[in-house]
Amino acid sequence: MSYENYLAGEPVIITAALTGGVQGKEATPHLPETPKEIGKAAAEAEAAGASVVHVHARKDNGERTFATERFQEIDDEIRRQADDVIIQHSTGGTGASDEDRHLPLRTDPAPEMASLDMGPMNRYDHLTSENTRGLVDSLHEEMVERGIKPELEIFNDGHMNETYGLLERRELAEPVYGTLIFGPGTLTPPKPRNFINAIDNLPEGAQFNTLGFGRHQLPFVTMGILFGGHVRVGLEDNIYYERGELATSNAQLVERVARIADELGREVATPSQARDILNL
Amino acid sequence: MTCPFLAYRSEANDRQFDEPRAYCEAAEQFVQPMRADICNDRYDLSHDEHCEIYLEHADEVPAGTETGDETENAGQSAGDDA
Ligand code: SF4
Repeated sequence: MSYENYLAGEPVIITAALTGGVQGKEATPHLPETPKEIGKAAAEAEAAGASVVHVHARKDNGERTFATERFQEIDDEIRRQADDVIIQHSTGGTGASDEDRHLPLRTDPAPEMASLDMGPMNRYDHLTSENTRGLVDSLHEEMVERGIKPELEIFNDGHMNETYGLLERRELAEPVYGTLIFGPGTLTPPKPRNFINAIDNLPEGAQFNTLGFGRHQLPFVTMGILFGGHVRVGLEDNIYYERGELATSNAQLVERVARIADELGREVATPSQARDILNL
Repeated sequence: MTCPFLAYRSEANDRQFDEPRAYCEAAEQFVQPMRADICNDRYDLSHDEHCEIYLEHADEVPAGTETGDETENAGQSAGDDA
């Protein structure tokens, strides 16, 4: 994908990362945590222009859970409150066992999409989410069995090599869909030249999604739109609307990026168009 | 064994929650849900190995609550600022 795709005016898929698993209501009261809250946030995000919602599961006190039953409750609420939005489960889980990491794939029906982390990521000062190749392969295998489209999370340039490695080891359905992630720590340093470089390094025919953490969310999704990619916004990745002002909802962040896409001449994809683009 | 600094509170620092949440009595603040798994020694995580706040405050653990661990300086956390 490239600037030519932008000029061609192809629709842009907006993913809303509604809740995440790292921070919770202690960071912002607007972050949805319970299944009902996540369902409502999904409906509002869809109405604002999101065609995909990326979800993690939490207990009522905001703490992480990987239990299939909790993902099921969340999906049921999303389907009850939203219209046609595509559900994407996270399979991330720093510190969790490989067995736990598979549990989000086992709802009925299966989610249409799930994230697949391409390699290690440091957390805090003494913790690493390892995401070994063995785990990547076994998660991918279960996704294939259950008809789930993997969203490859590429935290840095090394993970681009890991993506090519996965393509050598496994057959991935076309198009390959990778999220390029920019921010602090283990992530790709958030500089425009690194963004261009990452796009150039993508496998032939891949579609990309753009994710900037914190204050990098807005400029990087704008670049994503301009370079023919897709975009992810939401309170998982950024809790501020602008400096010093908390975003009041996921929908508020989606509305802004939909407005930018519109101003820049790119149609915002409906869930149905997103299914066509991603071959779901 | 959970961290001796862990408490569950519905209210602190002018914040109120419907459900009691993990609160760190060493840092005197509510902790992030991901860190709460470290506080609770859940999954493959343990407070005396993975929490820089615990390692910084290990010598303040009341006697008999937990065997002392070596103290290590904590730096800035990475990759969790979003
Ligand atoms: S593990 Fe760390 S954050 Fe949690 S209660 Fe103990 S010192 Fe505080």
